[in-house]
Amino acid sequence: MVHSQCLKTFIVNRIFYAFALLVGLVSCNSTPIESEINLSEAPWDTITQEASGTTVNFMMWQGNPSLNDYINNYVIPRVKELHNIDLEITGGQGPEVVQLVMGEKQAGVEKGQVDIVWINGETFFQLRKIDGLWGPFVKKLPSSKYINFDNPFISIDFQQPVNYMEAPWGMGQYALVYDSAQVSNPPRNLNQLEAYLKENPGTFTISNDFSGMTLLKSFLAEIGGSPTSLDGEFDEEKYNRLSEQLWDYINRNKRYFWKGGSTFPKEHTKVDQMFATGELHLVYGFSEGGIEDKIRDGLFPKTTRAYAWDNGTILNSNYLGIPYNSSNKAGAMTVINFLMSPEAQFEKLTRNGREARTVLDLNLLPEEWRMKFENAPKPQYSPDLEKLAKKAIKEPAPEYMIRLYDDFRTEVIEK
Amino acid sequence: MKNKYSNIGLLFFVLIGVVPFAAAFIYSVLYSFGVVGVVNDGFTTRFWESSLTSGEFFKSFGYSAAIAAVSVTISVGLALWLALKFTKELNRKLLSFVIYLPLAIPGVVAAFFTFQLFSKAGFFSRLSYKLGWLEEARQFPDLVNDQYAIGIILTFITGVMPFFVLLFLNVYKNERVADLSRLAYSLGATPRQITWRVSLPVMLRKTWTLVVLYFIFLLGAYEVPLILGQESPQMLSVLVIREIKQYDLTKISEGYVVAVIYTIIVSLAAILLFSKKSKTTEAIVDN
Repeated sequence: MVHSQCLKTFIVNRIFYAFALLVGLVSCNSTPIESEINLSEAPWDTITQEASGTTVNFMMWQGNPSLNDYINNYVIPRVKELHNIDLEITGGQGPEVVQLVMGEKQAGVEKGQVDIVWINGETFFQLRKIDGLWGPFVKKLPSSKYINFDNPFISIDFQQPVNYMEAPWGMGQYALVYDSAQVSNPPRNLNQLEAYLKENPGTFTISNDFSGMTLLKSFLAEIGGSPTSLDGEFDEEKYNRLSEQLWDYINRNKRYFWKGGSTFPKEHTKVDQMFATGELHLVYGFSEGGIEDKIRDGLFPKTTRAYAWDNGTILNSNYLGIPYNSSNKAGAMTVINFLMSPEAQFEKLTRNGREARTVLDLNLLPEEWRMKFENAPKPQYSPDLEKLAKKAIKEPAPEYMIRLYDDFRTEVIEK
Repeated sequence: MKNKYSNIGLLFFVLIGVVPFAAAFIYSVLYSFGVVGVVNDGFTTRFWESSLTSGEFFKSFGYSAAIAAVSVTISVGLALWLALKFTKELNRKLLSFVIYLPLAIPGVVAAFFTFQLFSKAGFFSRLSYKLGWLEEARQFPDLVNDQYAIGIILTFITGVMPFFVLLFLNVYKNERVADLSRLAYSLGATPRQITWRVSLPVMLRKTWTLVVLYFIFLLGAYEVPLILGQESPQMLSVLVIREIKQYDLTKISEGYVVAVIYTIIVSLAAILLFSKKSKTTEAIVDN
């Protein structure tokens, strides 16, 4: 009798919950269930013990085969071995992460589906806006002692202080990419780009996504006159002045763009594909242009080269965060700590050559690891990192990105 | 007893078909007025005003309607021609297999095929290049992500036409169009008159609701225009998803405005369509 009563209540609750989720009218009062242990005060050993035998859900962008290989064939078995944690991967990036957390927040879901999210500045900004992240937790992780939080490229994400709310995982510089067999003298500033476009019509475009907007930020900084011209808080007047010149520049050269500028690719992956097939000759990408693994995989020709813009290209980090309602925060912390450890970072650097940089500060590492990192094989095709780093500029405030997205559509695509 | 079962059936229909739809619609309406949504702060008509004044919705609606209309018209035309011209041949195994095969291919895959075949670096472009028709692969005409939505329309036609062929063949048989044609012929009608005044009217009158439904279906298509469309204007579903997933969280409600308007228009069309409750629909369902 008691049993059937329970079942009935359970079913009624389920139906009610499903309905509430659909209508989304439940209150937003969503304090997550606290773990039995106080994570901010418990010693690290207690946290890893709590995590042992649990499952951790990691939502990440799965668009890169080398990275997938690293996760599936190295990270997943290693965390099982070291911490007895089952790491499960779900696909999803920026907008999906935000949608999921927003949806759960609205529906008052206390035990979220995801424990770790891979994010960068734009998603960090959005998640902070809806209080979607749990923390600060990074200082608690033992691996954080190898990270130099005074490095502004780590502690500041899109001009926002990270405040230990997200843990650095990777770092890369944006670069332009060309095929040296097709283009002998690639453009390095806007004037040269204009000349290049007229000589090679149809071989360049800007994707209407994060990567494309990052290129526009570099252009905007050049119009502003210096690598630091966009630093600091968002300045409406400055943005309006500079962007007007940028749109004018693009529109007057639009007919020399891919498809005569009648449309722009939706995503960067399409740009990469068109470079691989020879439709485009001048492209761009994160992580030193992202050419190393693509050349090794045979997607890009061996004559592919990456380089920085004269006025600089953006150097930024990407991070791991824990959603506010993660149901396994101890597990998430344990996995993130592993991903930031010298062992995992070294493997990430050397496994497929996808990445050329680590978020760890070599001077803070134990001697043995420092030697290993210093002697790690250098990337074969990527540009010289130190030379490139001299042209590194910081990510401008997120509002620049918001405005560029909107205005690129209204001022360029729809015109 | 039978009554009881039909009540349960109705209950399930309401639970599965009506409640989620109604809930989602109410949710969208509330979202579009800023009543729900983590970053919204209460009732406002701001999103409706900006969506209606920007004109993007109407542009997108017109664009979607044009694409759907062209695709359905060409598909129905071709299917009628095939069904009337090759009635016997289409009943043969191999040919019917070839022509119905596209029905089994999902939209995403069809769009992907179209892209692989017709893009500037695709199969036909390479073939033309190899045959020396083009000096550079880039000279290949714009057939995907193009201004006139040729890629989208082509993909829609390959997916929709086989369905109509199948439908028309069945109607042809069930309505005994062959017998009617013979009768008309014996009464002195010319072949032209038989086609235009007997076969076509009979077949279209029996199927027009499905034609209209297909139009509505294509109006809301997502994957195909996502892969093969251009960035502006975009088809309705692509526009809605873009607005809902946009970077600026304060404008997400605009996506819900578009979704609400679209739902109202389509629902009204469906109600109008079925309130007439033509006997023809019933006849087809019965068949």
